[in-house]
Amino acid sequence: MSSKYDLETIELPAVWRSLKPIFFAAGLILLAGGAFLSLFARGADGSTDAAFRFFMHSYLANFMFVMTIALGALFFILIQFVSRAGWSTSIRRIAELIMTTIPFLALMFLPIIAILFANYNAPYEWNVPAEVHSSVIKAKIDVGYLTKEWFSIRATVYFALWIFMAFYFFGHSRKQDETGDVEHSLARQKWAGPCIMLFSLSVSFAAFDWVMSIDADWFSTIFGVYVFAAGMMAFFATTILISMALQNAGKLRAFVSVEHFHDMGKFMFGFIMFWSYIAFSQLLLYWYGNIPEETYWYQVRLNDGWQYLAYGLIPLHFAIPFLGTLSRHVRRNRFGLTFWACWALAVHWLDMTFLVMPNAGAPSFMPIFGHLLGGIGMLMVFLSFFLVRASNVPLVPMKDPRLPEALTYANPLL
Amino acid sequence: MNNSEHKLKSNKEPRPPKACGWMAEFENEHDLLHAAEKVRDAGYTKTDAFTPFPVHGIDHALGIKPTILPFIVLCAGLTGLCTALLMQWWMNGVDYKYIISGKPFGITPASIPVSFELTILFSAFTSVLGMLALNGLPKFSNPVFTSAKFDRATNDRFFLYVDATDKYYNRESVRELLSSVDANSLDEVMEDSTPSEMPRAILLGALLLVLAGLIPSAIVLNMRSSFSDLPRWHVFFDMDFQPKKKPQQTTTIFKDGRSMRPQVPGTISRGQLEQQDPFYLGYDPMKVTSLDTDKQIYVSAVDSTAASPSLDATVQPPAASPAGGAPNLPFLDKLPIEANEENIKLGKTKYEIYCSACHGYAGFGDGLVAKRAASLAQDTWAPPSSLHLDRVQKQPVGQIFHTISKGQGKMASYASSITPQERWSIVLYVKALQRSRNANIDDVPVEQRGSLTEPTPSQTK
Repeated sequence: MSSKYDLETIELPAVWRSLKPIFFAAGLILLAGGAFLSLFARGADGSTDAAFRFFMHSYLANFMFVMTIALGALFFILIQFVSRAGWSTSIRRIAELIMTTIPFLALMFLPIIAILFANYNAPYEWNVPAEVHSSVIKAKIDVGYLTKEWFSIRATVYFALWIFMAFYFFGHSRKQDETGDVEHSLARQKWAGPCIMLFSLSVSFAAFDWVMSIDADWFSTIFGVYVFAAGMMAFFATTILISMALQNAGKLRAFVSVEHFHDMGKFMFGFIMFWSYIAFSQLLLYWYGNIPEETYWYQVRLNDGWQYLAYGLIPLHFAIPFLGTLSRHVRRNRFGLTFWACWALAVHWLDMTFLVMPNAGAPSFMPIFGHLLGGIGMLMVFLSFFLVRASNVPLVPMKDPRLPEALTYANPLL
Repeated sequence: MNNSEHKLKSNKEPRPPKACGWMAEFENEHDLLHAAEKVRDAGYTKTDAFTPFPVHGIDHALGIKPTILPFIVLCAGLTGLCTALLMQWWMNGVDYKYIISGKPFGITPASIPVSFELTILFSAFTSVLGMLALNGLPKFSNPVFTSAKFDRATNDRFFLYVDATDKYYNRESVRELLSSVDANSLDEVMEDSTPSEMPRAILLGALLLVLAGLIPSAIVLNMRSSFSDLPRWHVFFDMDFQPKKKPQQTTTIFKDGRSMRPQVPGTISRGQLEQQDPFYLGYDPMKVTSLDTDKQIYVSAVDSTAASPSLDATVQPPAASPAGGAPNLPFLDKLPIEANEENIKLGKTKYEIYCSACHGYAGFGDGLVAKRAASLAQDTWAPPSSLHLDRVQKQPVGQIFHTISKGQGKMASYASSITPQERWSIVLYVKALQRSRNANIDDVPVEQRGSLTEPTPSQTK
């Protein structure tokens, strides 16, 4: 099979390789610029506490923005093997490369742990028990759940699980590149199911720990699913954009066809809907129950100017992209799909902002602009991680026994 | 008539079956695809392919246009959405305004699940029925079934069929076209010559089924529009008439003929002791028995009038009922619980949960409910009393306890939500509230009197 295809087309473009340090440096500069702009956020007393608080929330939101994409990639790989899917083989390596950025992202999480151990109460209010007024949060601290030590141990466990899973699947994939042995596929199929269980639990608890606990008064058992749904949508958007860009650079053209884009578009469309379904399910119960401690989270998000973001997500994250990606003609159109993938990525950033930032206080222009710069910076850092991973790896698993299925795959004509 | 029909049929019999089109048989799907493309390029549209498994690209090869079903489904889904929203807006916003959990009328977030479901329902039905309709299903027979070779279409052969009703159909040219492709065999498909009329028995059976299906609705319609003096028809007889006795029924099992049994001497029923304990009543029942019988009747009447105010007419309360029908009972004037900090904190907590909504945090009868009711200005509302009225101030503690337990006027009984211990704690707290409005300097501990030089801000929340 290898002889039929030009092996150059499954390598990362040479220009892209040289972009690694540039993206990384530019990303860090943008993050630093964002941090500087958050200095404009001043409390009533003019102290820099508010600025620090804003920046930590901003960092967390931007971190979750890229972290959820990597987790989406991990889950995508797992479902490909649990369902023994063939169609996705030619785009699977891109997802694998995205998921293997998780160790780098674990490094990006270290600042948050460091802040906890420096005894700051941003972004996690519960970190300084003496300043906590809520009896609910105090109870959660007293039982020992919300403490910096236990929080760090849990984060370590989550990352260890994800990294282990990612490299188990990536390792087999790479070994299959050498030997083409079907055993590597069978091993992954065997472990995909148990890994999905571990994945769903760990992602759910990570979402509780990292995002929900910035507002530890409030709880929502569906919150993990919400973050997962958002991440899946963003992952498909990212993969569509990376594949498009690779094809525009002359790569993968014989491997990724309009059928694959169509399918990823379907998935993206599905997760736009699923996100809306979950977000609404969460809202409806709290709206109907109308109990202060449960509606409090929405109260914070529907005041101080954040209401424009909260209400804006309904058309931006649901109605407009839903109608936009509803038609198969759009999903099979390169420009159409690229446009909506960019849209999905942008609203995913808005969504993470919605989850985290209202707890940092009322928005003002300069810090929010800094937050946006931080988001772009984080995305560039993330891309540089991806490029590091992709540099010396073929972009298609050429000896995967399911590759022929992917190459001849076609959607039925509706 | 039968005869003439037989004649007609026998006349038909000798007519040679009509040709319906050409069908070519192929070894594999590649040949079929190739042939289908040729037929498509020749301009034929009334064509069909029959394969043992789905063949990718066959739609394209046959020149089948994309279906319009998605647009029909979209329209149906939007219709479902609009139907649901309109229905809910009309039902709960216009026609039958009914407060549910204090939520607004008309379209609310709670309308979304229903709208979602109707959207899906309409779309799903339209998808299935539209698919059937656009495919021309159900179709009971197809002329291709007359070919014996065709049975292998579900096994290992591929067929391409060109129908004679095609606009450009010409028997010879189609035969030539299909001969030029690499077909196993080429046959002309003949019309199915077996009778196509539905057998009478089936029609009759269907008619009978339809008629039988009308019977239940006919019975219901008849019953709805007529009167009957017959006793009710019991569908589940043993559920309507269970072998058990209810209170107030008679029985032959016991000598006195009552199904309700009197208390066995020497036993105490659950909660019976509480009926003699001032701690649970707020008054001393032993002293009630020493009062005149009118009052006893009144006591029992008061205890049951909460549910049926019409009793007021028959059981006249004695004149000795001051201030709005409050009972004149031997109320306790000493708290049966200790006036310590723990109890007063408990009382404050419970007061703020249960009482403050109407009576207000400081007891002035200005709670949120009272304010809201006052702003609605409806004449059915009796405003809650201020606890600082002279009349309430003078009430013994037992009477406040009794009011909480039994209710008063519009105020309902709170006995089921607040335990007696908590009720007494509330009484303690109410007494403290009252005292706070009538305090003098002697109430303040000597060492703290110095801090009273300037007025402190109001304690109310």
